[in-house]
Amino acid sequence: MVASVVVVGGGIAGVSTVGALRDGGFQGDLTLIDAGEFPYDRPPLSKDYLAGSTEIKDIALQTPQWYDDNRVRMVTEKTVAALRPGVGAVELGDGTTVSADRVVLAMGGRACRPPIPGSDSTRVHVLRTADDADRLGATLVPGARLLIVGAGLIGAEVASTAGGLGCEVVLADPVWPPLSAAFSSDVAAWLHGMHEKRGVTTVNSAVKAFKDAAGGISATFAGDSEAQSFDAALLAVGMAAETALAEAAGLRVDRGIVVDARQVTSNPAVLAVGDAATRGAAGLSVNRSEHWEAARHDGQRAAAAILGIAPPADTAPWFWTDRHGVHVEVVGALSNTDQYWQRGSVGEPPFSVFAVRDGLVVGAVSVGDSTAVRAARRLIDRGIPVDPAQLIDPTTDLRKLVRGRPTEGMK
Amino acid sequence: MKYGIRVAAVDDIPKGEGISIDRSVTGTDDDIALLRDDDGCVWALNNTCTHAEASLAEGWVEDGYVECPLHSSKFCLKTGAVQGLPATRDAVAHRVELRDGDVYLFPRQGS
Repeated sequence: MVASVVVVGGGIAGVSTVGALRDGGFQGDLTLIDAGEFPYDRPPLSKDYLAGSTEIKDIALQTPQWYDDNRVRMVTEKTVAALRPGVGAVELGDGTTVSADRVVLAMGGRACRPPIPGSDSTRVHVLRTADDADRLGATLVPGARLLIVGAGLIGAEVASTAGGLGCEVVLADPVWPPLSAAFSSDVAAWLHGMHEKRGVTTVNSAVKAFKDAAGGISATFAGDSEAQSFDAALLAVGMAAETALAEAAGLRVDRGIVVDARQVTSNPAVLAVGDAATRGAAGLSVNRSEHWEAARHDGQRAAAAILGIAPPADTAPWFWTDRHGVHVEVVGALSNTDQYWQRGSVGEPPFSVFAVRDGLVVGAVSVGDSTAVRAARRLIDRGIPVDPAQLIDPTTDLRKLVRGRPTEGMK
Repeated sequence: MKYGIRVAAVDDIPKGEGISIDRSVTGTDDDIALLRDDDGCVWALNNTCTHAEASLAEGWVEDGYVECPLHSSKFCLKTGAVQGLPATRDAVAHRVELRDGDVYLFPRQGS
């Protein structure tokens, strides 16, 4: 029987793990170790928190009372120096040890800093933590010139936030349109096109060098010889999983900590969840799903594995993003088919696009149409066959497709 | 309030959906969402999600829960208890009665 669990890392994956353990009836000792003052939610770091319209205490993942009520021993502002699975313990940076029958690694990752010359300047930021957001946010004064490298989800959200604060934003990405695999190409092109309409300058190029300049930072784009000057730059080019502790402990690592379908690593006493974990299968490394809800589900699966109970049912992956005042949601995958069906018109929210394969919905993206994505998720999860003509008919109530009922009167 | 406030006809609310009743009618601090489950039962919760600015009346109602249209936190229709992050606070639940095809609301004061 597992009598004690230590969770390392207080992001959404770690906090979900401890919550799911208690919800599942775990009665043993439960410890959450986090480097920060308290666990907070990360999605606002590129939005309201960066804009200064919400404070760190407002984005706490849970209240202090919740940790007390759930008998979670909080070890905050502490880092773990080593895993000692052989003796059932983790060793903290200050040399003390915490014993545990099971360790759950939930340490996420670090923002990538590609080796662009000059990118070690203090004016070149990344965004992963509240401290990063504080440093970046301090530069976002009206009129400040900000260069964002990478127009993925984080880069686009920061462009929107910084533009809203009155900054002059240049958003650079060598790929056009960015995120077409995630959103499907038409929707990706429209979303990327919103930047220019909202006053953000988009540059279809990579940055080849930075250089500190008087009172700013200059950047040279690939193919250009002339440098442009900015007050600050942000590298928003993805993350690298935090795997050092796992590697030092001899766990299998392949760009992430390799776990099985129950989140168990190559050492049965150690589990991994969230952005740092990758589900490998038969030597194949599966891409990590670096999204908020995926991390939450990892935590629930890990808790079920520790408790020896059935894991929650699998569900299609889902994420949201907000930019320039629109709320975008994606469920499933939009890249594994060539059949796309539009409900409404792309570019005129609310609208949605369904990806269909062999008569089944495999993915959907919606802008301002929450019901479409929630219906699509259930159509995917339940394997309900659809007639695409019905999906795109604006008079079809999508909820009724899910319930497998024809449109009926409100009886 | 012995008889409650008549706020809607049951047939105004399709199964699996919700409608919002304005605070000027309910006399509460927030609008109130009337949410109708698949089984036809009607429940009432404060309309604004406890996490962010979203209307629960626009959420997905199914199997005793409403799912927020913005970030998908779920709330128990009967008690308002939050079932999943990102919301951490329960929604305020109000009592409803169905009489002769109409929905009568008994708003909880101070909520």
